[in-house]
Amino acid sequence: MPPLLQIHALKTWFPITRGIFSRTVGHVRAVDGVSLDIAPGETVGLVGESGCGKTTLGRTVLGLEPRKSGEILLGGIPLWPTRHHETLPLRRRVQMIFQDPYSSLNPRMTIQEIVTEGLLEQRLIRPRERADAAARLLREVGMEPSVLHRYPHEFSGGQRQRISIARAIAVRPELVICDEAVSALDVSVRAQVLNLLIDLRASHNLAYLFISHDLGVIRHIADRVVVMYLGVVVETGPASEVLDSPAHPYSRALISAVPVPFGESRKRTILKGDVPSSSHPPPGCRFHTRCPLALPECAVRVPVLEPITPGSARHVACIRKNEISDKSHDAKALLQGVFQ
Amino acid sequence: MSTLLDIRNLGVTFDTDEGPLKAVDNVSFSIQQGEVVGLVGESGCGKSVTALGLLRLIPMPPGRFTSGEVFFEGRDLLRLPTDELRTIRGRRISVIFQEPMSALSPLHRVGAQLMETLQLHLPLDKRTAWNTSVDWLNRVGLPDPEAQMRAYPYQLSGGMLQRVMIAMALMLEPALIIADEPTTALDVTIQAQILDLLRTLKSQDASLLLITHDLGVVWELCDRIVVMYASRMVEEGPRRELFENPAHPYTRALLDSVLSLTGRADRLSTIEGQVPSPLAYPAGCRFAPRCPHAFARCHQEQPPLYSIADKRHSACFLSAPKKPDLLNPCPSEPLNP
Ligand SMILES: Nc1ncnc2c1ncn2[C@@H]1O[C@H](COP(=O)(O)OP(=O)(O)OP(=O)(O)O)[C@@H](O)[C@H]1O
Ligand SMILES: Nc1ncnc2c1ncn2[C@@H]1O[C@H](COP(=O)(O)OP(=O)(O)O)[C@@H](O)[C@H]1O
Ligand code: SF4
Ligand code: SF4
Ligand SMILES: [Mg+2]
Ligand SMILES: [Mg+2]
Repeated sequence: MPPLLQIHALKTWFPITRGIFSRTVGHVRAVDGVSLDIAPGETVGLVGESGCGKTTLGRTVLGLEPRKSGEILLGGIPLWPTRHHETLPLRRRVQMIFQDPYSSLNPRMTIQEIVTEGLLEQRLIRPRERADAAARLLREVGMEPSVLHRYPHEFSGGQRQRISIARAIAVRPELVICDEAVSALDVSVRAQVLNLLIDLRASHNLAYLFISHDLGVIRHIADRVVVMYLGVVVETGPASEVLDSPAHPYSRALISAVPVPFGESRKRTILKGDVPSSSHPPPGCRFHTRCPLALPECAVRVPVLEPITPGSARHVACIRKNEISDKSHDAKALLQGVFQ
Repeated sequence: MSTLLDIRNLGVTFDTDEGPLKAVDNVSFSIQQGEVVGLVGESGCGKSVTALGLLRLIPMPPGRFTSGEVFFEGRDLLRLPTDELRTIRGRRISVIFQEPMSALSPLHRVGAQLMETLQLHLPLDKRTAWNTSVDWLNRVGLPDPEAQMRAYPYQLSGGMLQRVMIAMALMLEPALIIADEPTTALDVTIQAQILDLLRTLKSQDASLLLITHDLGVVWELCDRIVVMYASRMVEEGPRRELFENPAHPYTRALLDSVLSLTGRADRLSTIEGQVPSPLAYPAGCRFAPRCPHAFARCHQEQPPLYSIADKRHSACFLSAPKKPDLLNPCPSEPLNP
């Protein structure tokens, strides 16, 4: 099947301005050359440290941030820029669910108005069909239609997130970008909302771009995982493979850092220092300032994201990729003392 | 090991526009010297109010103590004169908050704030205070500590600030450190650095009260765990025993919903319903509306905190000692199959 979404060499930069004339003195390279495909019905998990560009990538796909360069195609058709009358039906096909269930719902609109707004805007229903459509949507997300005329502040975090989900699926999208959609929820409610997202994926054949810092959540929901560092993709592959045996030194450190109940007290790679500024990403491999395997060469050569072995679905951007993916004794010796 | 902190029946209520809000209700636990105790529970269950309450850091009004005693090194913190309390709070007990920004002054350089803390409590001259501060920034793994001393808080990242806070908390070598979600706002890679640092505390015989909702963090760091739900303690026990054999249905459900994430089960196990509002707690057991084992009595009476084994407590009628009259009524399912 052809990809539903194709992102090719996408860059989104934000100008840094100074002074009263707002002179541009540099750029935050939030997304700096990302390529990524999502198949219909596929869930891609996007992970990486705070500030690495995950939200910006999602917002750029939706047209909420301007691209600097690169292409975004939906079903083979460029999503931006096209004229308004052409993008409206396209836009319907991609929806987003945000992290904060408090600020993402308009406090002055009733639940009915919130979940049917998109349907009316797209002329998919007539105004008098509103109540029926809203009731049906609420049932789909496991809520009682009796709450239609209430306002968002009357609901708990989990319920508000259900309302956001109802609003997103109302217009029958094919791709939903979930940006930390369950992160603000209590543990006991998080599982309910995740189960709902999984059910809807099956019943509506949805594809998800699922952004989360919670690797447990990603493991549960994603088919494929994309690991970002400072605006670029460093590793991608089937979820279980990447999470169980990460190859890229950054993915290894990231995944080993997560404490798990009942986990053995693992020897973990403690990365030194913080993520460098994305307005001045380090030259060569962007991870070389923190990488325990860095060679002098890493500071000059930019590693390319390529299959770990020819034809493999695992892609890694590291100049030592052959050594670290090798299962031989030498490779083990190399990693010993650095990674468990 | 001797008892360092002993909290008995702590109760804190806030008088809000909608009525009295019982934020902490009858919480009792103790911390031994050199012990790391984890206080866990979902957001709003009363963890922070417990920690702030025992240090008398709650604004009153709207807050007020409804009951309790907090013995620290034999003295009741809730009844100590303010000046004595302040000395203990700086010197013997230190606090690390979730939002480091809120605890540092934005107007003063990091170094000045560290040195002030030191000089307030120890007879040090400027030179020694500077050197000691730099030394501590070094120990908490902050790169280029001399430069950080001259920086303003806004110039540091969240992870760096949190390490400054930790340095500030450890500097006076307190007997007890209270850390309220010290890593929740941080990335996992930075969290790993901080956890590593907190682990070294253990070797220095300091006690730690670690407040978190992350059971993975608790598993890694804590000796003993106190679980709260809806302002009350529901279970307490040594880490491994509590994780492997939880007694309270809420603890079990919480562990299940976290653990089912580590495998790739098709469905996550969930806890139906939601945490009740603190303004309208159910009359009986507060977990009863969501509890799969609830029976008639649970809806009428609050279960007391039963002692179930050495150092283990559970606030569930099903944990009651098996006296003949308490065997009735029987639970529909065995609790620990
Ligand atoms: N509107 C904006 N103007 C300027 N810089 C921005 C803007 N939005 C984002 N950035 C910067 O772009 C970079 C990437 O931000 P982004 O929000 O995409 O990160 P993220 O991966 O979603 O992080 P988090 O995990 O914290 O949500 C950051 O350095 C951020 O400060
Ligand atoms: N200053 C305050 N005024 C009124 N209510 C408060 C105040 N501080 C906390 N609360 C309430 O007390 C309860 C417990 O809060 P808290 O201890 O902060 O929870 P957590 O377990 O997430 O740390 C919550 O319902 C909270 O809304
Ligand atoms: S290219 Fe070099 S610095 Fe980058 S991840 Fe690989 S070994 Fe580390
Ligand atoms: S007392 Fe009853 S409702 Fe409460 S946890 Fe025990 S069985 Fe469940
Ligand atoms: Mg984000
Ligand atoms: Mg709190």
